[in-house]
Amino acid sequence: MNQQNGMQLPKLPDADWAYTVLSDLKRVVREYATAATESTCPDVRSMFTDLMNSSLKMQGDLYNAMQSANMYDTSSPVLRQEIQKQIGTYTQTQQQTQQFIQQRMSGMNSGQAQPFMGQNQQQPQSPMYN
Amino acid sequence: MLQPISGKELEYIADSMSNEDLLMKQCACAATSISDAGLSQLLSNMVKTHQQNYTTLMNSLNQHQQLAPTAPQN
Repeated sequence: MNQQNGMQLPKLPDADWAYTVLSDLKRVVREYATAATESTCPDVRSMFTDLMNSSLKMQGDLYNAMQSANMYDTSSPVLRQEIQKQIGTYTQTQQQTQQFIQQRMSGMNSGQAQPFMGQNQQQPQSPMYN
Repeated sequence: MLQPISGKELEYIADSMSNEDLLMKQCACAATSISDAGLSQLLSNMVKTHQQNYTTLMNSLNQHQQLAPTAPQN
Protein backbone atom coordinates (compact mmCIF):
# COMPACT_ATOMS: atom_id res chain seq x y z
CA MET A 1 0.00 0.00 0.00
CA ASN A 2 2.78 2.35 0.91
CA GLN A 3 4.53 1.61 -2.36
CA GLN A 4 1.38 2.43 -4.28
CA ASN A 5 1.06 5.95 -3.01
CA GLY A 6 4.80 6.53 -2.98
CA MET A 7 5.06 6.85 0.81
CA GLN A 8 8.18 5.53 2.47
CA LEU A 9 7.89 3.19 5.43
CA PRO A 10 9.29 4.81 8.58
CA LYS A 11 12.73 3.55 9.57
CA LEU A 12 13.57 2.32 13.05
CA PRO A 13 15.88 4.96 14.59
CA ASP A 14 19.57 4.01 15.01
CA ALA A 15 19.32 4.23 18.78
CA ASP A 16 16.41 1.75 18.87
CA TRP A 17 18.28 -0.71 16.66
CA ALA A 18 21.34 -0.53 18.86
CA TYR A 19 19.27 -0.80 22.04
CA THR A 20 17.49 -3.99 20.86
CA VAL A 21 20.86 -5.67 20.32
CA LEU A 22 22.24 -4.29 23.59
CA SER A 23 19.35 -5.62 25.65
CA ASP A 24 19.57 -9.06 24.04
CA LEU A 25 23.29 -9.16 24.77
CA LYS A 26 22.56 -8.32 28.42
CA ARG A 27 20.08 -11.19 28.58
CA VAL A 28 22.47 -13.63 26.89
CA VAL A 29 25.29 -12.77 29.35
CA ARG A 30 22.95 -13.73 32.23
CA GLU A 31 21.87 -16.91 30.49
CA TYR A 32 25.47 -18.03 29.93
CA ALA A 33 26.25 -17.36 33.59
CA THR A 34 23.26 -19.51 34.62
CA ALA A 35 24.25 -22.24 32.16
CA ALA A 36 27.82 -22.28 33.53
CA THR A 37 26.63 -22.63 37.13
CA GLU A 38 24.23 -25.44 36.13
CA SER A 39 26.81 -27.45 34.18
CA THR A 40 28.43 -30.57 35.56
CA CYS A 41 30.86 -31.34 32.72
CA PRO A 42 34.04 -29.28 33.16
CA ASP A 43 34.39 -28.68 29.42
CA VAL A 44 30.77 -27.53 29.08
CA ARG A 45 31.18 -25.20 32.06
CA SER A 46 34.33 -23.69 30.61
CA MET A 47 32.66 -23.29 27.18
CA PHE A 48 29.74 -21.38 28.78
CA THR A 49 32.21 -19.25 30.77
CA ASP A 50 34.11 -18.33 27.59
CA LEU A 51 30.86 -17.57 25.75
CA MET A 52 29.73 -15.40 28.67
CA ASN A 53 32.98 -13.40 28.49
CA SER A 54 32.65 -13.04 24.72
CA SER A 55 29.06 -11.72 25.07
CA LEU A 56 30.04 -9.44 27.96
CA LYS A 57 32.77 -7.92 25.82
CA MET A 58 30.36 -7.30 22.92
CA GLN A 59 27.83 -5.72 25.30
CA GLY A 60 30.55 -3.42 26.69
CA ASP A 61 31.80 -2.44 23.22
CA LEU A 62 28.26 -1.70 22.03
CA TYR A 63 27.48 0.30 25.16
CA ASN A 64 30.63 2.41 24.68
CA ALA A 65 29.80 3.01 21.00
CA MET A 66 26.25 4.04 21.91
CA GLN A 67 27.51 6.39 24.57
CA SER A 68 29.95 8.02 22.11
CA ALA A 69 27.07 8.46 19.66
CA ASN A 70 25.02 10.12 22.44
CA MET A 71 22.44 7.35 22.38
CA TYR A 72 22.67 6.54 26.01
CA ASP A 73 21.75 8.70 28.97
CA THR A 74 24.07 8.00 31.83
CA SER A 75 22.32 8.27 35.17
CA SER A 76 23.21 11.30 37.27
CA PRO A 77 25.93 10.86 39.93
CA VAL A 78 24.77 9.82 43.38
CA LEU A 79 25.17 12.31 46.23
CA ARG A 80 28.15 11.94 48.60
CA GLN A 81 25.88 11.56 51.64
CA GLU A 82 24.14 8.59 50.02
CA ILE A 83 27.48 6.79 49.74
CA GLN A 84 28.35 7.86 53.30
CA LYS A 85 25.11 6.28 54.52
CA GLN A 86 25.94 2.93 52.93
CA ILE A 87 29.49 3.06 54.29
CA GLY A 88 28.04 3.61 57.76
CA THR A 89 25.59 0.72 57.48
CA TYR A 90 28.13 -1.72 56.08
CA THR A 91 30.92 -0.79 58.48
CA GLN A 92 28.55 -1.79 61.28
CA THR A 93 27.60 -5.01 59.48
CA GLN A 94 31.27 -5.84 58.97
CA GLN A 95 32.06 -5.37 62.67
CA GLN A 96 29.11 -7.48 63.80
CA THR A 97 29.97 -10.25 61.37
CA GLN A 98 33.64 -10.24 62.40
CA GLN A 99 32.54 -10.65 66.00
CA PHE A 100 30.13 -13.44 65.07
CA ILE A 101 32.82 -15.31 63.13
CA GLN A 102 35.36 -14.94 65.95
CA GLN A 103 32.91 -16.26 68.55
CA ARG A 104 31.77 -19.06 66.29
CA MET A 105 35.26 -20.20 65.32
CA SER A 106 36.87 -19.85 68.78
CA GLY A 107 34.74 -22.76 70.06
CA MET A 108 36.00 -25.03 67.31
CA ASN A 109 39.39 -25.98 68.78
CA SER A 110 38.50 -25.90 72.48
CA GLY A 111 36.15 -28.88 72.13
CA GLN A 112 33.14 -26.81 73.03
CA ALA A 113 29.87 -28.47 72.00
CA GLN A 114 28.23 -26.83 69.05
CA PRO A 115 24.69 -25.89 70.01
CA PHE A 116 23.16 -27.15 66.79
CA MET A 117 25.03 -30.46 66.53
CA GLY A 118 24.23 -32.67 69.52
CA GLN A 119 26.22 -35.90 69.66
CA ASN A 120 23.14 -38.08 69.67
CA GLN A 121 21.52 -36.20 66.90
CA GLN A 122 21.13 -38.26 63.78
CA GLN A 123 22.74 -37.02 60.64
CA PRO A 124 20.03 -36.09 58.18
CA GLN A 125 20.06 -37.98 54.94
CA SER A 126 21.97 -36.13 52.26
CA PRO A 127 19.63 -34.65 49.74
CA MET A 128 20.15 -35.30 46.05
CA TYR A 129 20.62 -32.29 43.84
CA ASN A 130 20.38 -32.24 40.13
CA MET B 1 38.70 -36.01 29.52
CA LEU B 2 35.24 -35.41 28.11
CA GLN B 3 32.23 -36.63 30.07
CA PRO B 4 28.76 -37.37 28.72
CA ILE B 5 26.44 -34.36 29.10
CA SER B 6 23.16 -34.33 31.00
CA GLY B 7 19.75 -33.49 29.56
CA LYS B 8 19.91 -30.14 31.36
CA GLU B 9 23.22 -29.26 29.71
CA LEU B 10 21.81 -30.23 26.31
CA GLU B 11 18.87 -27.85 26.89
CA TYR B 12 21.21 -24.99 27.82
CA ILE B 13 23.35 -25.61 24.73
CA ALA B 14 20.29 -25.72 22.46
CA ASP B 15 18.81 -22.54 24.02
CA SER B 16 22.18 -20.81 23.60
CA MET B 17 22.23 -21.77 19.92
CA SER B 18 18.79 -20.17 19.46
CA ASN B 19 20.07 -17.03 21.18
CA GLU B 20 23.21 -16.84 19.02
CA ASP B 21 21.16 -17.49 15.88
CA LEU B 22 18.77 -14.65 16.70
CA LEU B 23 21.60 -12.29 17.63
CA MET B 24 23.55 -12.85 14.41
CA LYS B 25 20.43 -12.06 12.33
CA GLN B 26 19.59 -9.09 14.54
CA CYS B 27 23.14 -7.70 14.23
CA ALA B 28 23.09 -8.20 10.44
CA CYS B 29 19.81 -6.24 10.14
CA ALA B 30 21.02 -3.55 12.54
CA ALA B 31 24.40 -3.22 10.76
CA THR B 32 22.70 -2.65 7.39
CA SER B 33 19.98 -0.32 8.73
CA ILE B 34 22.01 1.98 10.96
CA SER B 35 23.45 5.15 9.38
CA ASP B 36 26.19 5.75 11.99
CA ALA B 37 29.30 4.26 10.32
CA GLY B 38 31.12 3.34 13.52
CA LEU B 39 28.16 1.52 15.02
CA SER B 40 27.42 -0.21 11.75
CA GLN B 41 30.98 -1.53 11.56
CA LEU B 42 30.86 -2.71 15.18
CA LEU B 43 27.60 -4.55 14.54
CA SER B 44 28.90 -6.28 11.44
CA ASN B 45 31.94 -7.48 13.42
CA MET B 46 29.51 -8.79 16.01
CA VAL B 47 27.80 -10.91 13.34
CA LYS B 48 31.09 -12.81 12.93
CA THR B 49 31.51 -13.31 16.68
CA HIS B 50 28.00 -14.72 16.99
CA GLN B 51 28.70 -17.06 14.09
CA GLN B 52 31.85 -18.26 15.89
CA ASN B 53 29.91 -18.73 19.12
CA TYR B 54 27.31 -20.76 17.26
CA THR B 55 30.07 -22.95 15.80
CA THR B 56 31.59 -23.45 19.27
CA LEU B 57 28.22 -24.69 20.57
CA MET B 58 27.69 -26.94 17.53
CA ASN B 59 31.20 -28.44 17.95
CA SER B 60 30.44 -29.20 21.56
CA LEU B 61 27.27 -31.03 20.54
CA ASN B 62 29.18 -33.03 17.95
CA GLN B 63 31.88 -34.03 20.45
CA HIS B 64 29.37 -35.06 23.08
CA GLN B 65 27.28 -37.00 20.61
CA GLN B 66 30.09 -39.54 20.36
CA LEU B 67 30.11 -40.08 24.12
CA ALA B 68 26.38 -40.25 24.70
CA PRO B 69 24.86 -43.63 25.57
CA THR B 70 22.44 -45.08 23.01
CA ALA B 71 20.13 -46.66 25.59
CA PRO B 72 18.85 -45.24 28.91
CA GLN B 73 21.17 -45.93 31.88
CA ASN B 74 19.83 -47.68 35.06
